[in-house]
Amino acid sequence: MSSRVMRDFDLLLPESIEETIALLARHKDKSAVLAGGTDLLVALKFDYSIDNVISLALVPGLDELDFDPARGLTIGAKVTIADVLRSQDVKDNYPALWQAAQVFATPQLRNTATVLGNILRASPAGDCSAALYATGGSLLLKNAKGCRNIDLDDFWISYGVTARCVDELAISLHVPVPAQGEKSAFRRMTRTTEDLSKINAAVCLQMAGETCHKARVVMGCVGPTLLRLPKVEKMLAGAAVTPELLRDISNVVISEIAPIDDQRSSAEYRNKVAGVLVKRVIEAALNAKENDQ
Amino acid sequence: MKLLNLTINGRKHTKAVSPSMTLLDFLREELNLTGTKNGCDKGACGCCSVMIDDKPMLSCLLPALEAEGAAITTIEGIAKGNALHPVQEAMIEMGAIQCGFCTPAMVINGVHMLAKNNNPDDDEVKECISATVCRCTGYNSIEKALHLAASKMRRAAHDGS
Repeated sequence: MSSRVMRDFDLLLPESIEETIALLARHKDKSAVLAGGTDLLVALKFDYSIDNVISLALVPGLDELDFDPARGLTIGAKVTIADVLRSQDVKDNYPALWQAAQVFATPQLRNTATVLGNILRASPAGDCSAALYATGGSLLLKNAKGCRNIDLDDFWISYGVTARCVDELAISLHVPVPAQGEKSAFRRMTRTTEDLSKINAAVCLQMAGETCHKARVVMGCVGPTLLRLPKVEKMLAGAAVTPELLRDISNVVISEIAPIDDQRSSAEYRNKVAGVLVKRVIEAALNAKENDQ
Repeated sequence: MKLLNLTINGRKHTKAVSPSMTLLDFLREELNLTGTKNGCDKGACGCCSVMIDDKPMLSCLLPALEAEGAAITTIEGIAKGNALHPVQEAMIEMGAIQCGFCTPAMVINGVHMLAKNNNPDDDEVKECISATVCRCTGYNSIEKALHLAASKMRRAAHDGS
């Protein structure tokens, strides 16, 4: 057998969303949902035991990756990072998400890992999560009582903890239609390319000429959850994005983050590079040509 | 135990497996297909790569039962009898195999890439092998082997047409 022996669990294979929800209602916190499983299986091998793993493998209706210019982007629970990377619609309309998918882990993991799994994992290092937090979006959750939508702004509570109730299944994520003049980008720093981010950042800017009307600026690995940087967003809103403004923003970033020392980096280093990374991700968003990459 | 049906290297298998058994352990322990290696067992080293329905995936991160109905290709299914695949030939010719532990995964990923694109550039080759850790070669010889395999495959395609 494997060197890492997983504690036995039962693998439940429901064949519909309704059946899945009924299983969640029955097993609640004695169960975990498996879509891609690239995080869950590692957890099950090392530090976590659960009686029932509810697999979505046979559940239809969760594969949708659909862009409608009038409604926006819908990402189903089983859509993988590789699916997102293959989508010309995502590349054209949500560059931050596409760029995050491009550097996400490794080709094999991208074929397995799901976008919604990245969100539900509630890691402050989630690359696709950071990009989606910047563009904004809402999750559709469903339990036996019905459906609710929850904004990503309200979803992550602390490290590994989300607003999802134990009996709720995440069905899909909805990302709004890009605003007029919207520009977005994602950048990160890692030790090696396949490693998790030691720090990452994503921005979504609504531009009219040189002026930024509205900004969402997100930074990861600098707090217990992904963080938005409200001071930076305020400095950008209504301002002409000049080199001077970018320099001022770069200096403010440190006051909005609370990084820690861990195996991937130190608080000191993260504090040092955070301002530079935010400046660079803003420049990347602004300098992207039409149909770039 | 639950019944699992799947096709491995073109051969159908039906076997009862434990729900908490990974596909990697199923291949190695139940079917004795030990070409697929267990490196880190947590999705970081890439050594357990297999093709599942034509996509390279990590077999250590997948319960075997998740592969119900799938068609799986392991390193044992790459050569045709005694005829090696061009990727395997090129790995030998370029000295890209040292201890050999990463080799099955390197070959699986190389075969997958070249089946789609037999004229990859340097970046595409690097991307292809980026997910598999090799502690011997320094990767250069593996990159050279994949370029050599690509040229062999282009020549074969040209001769065949």
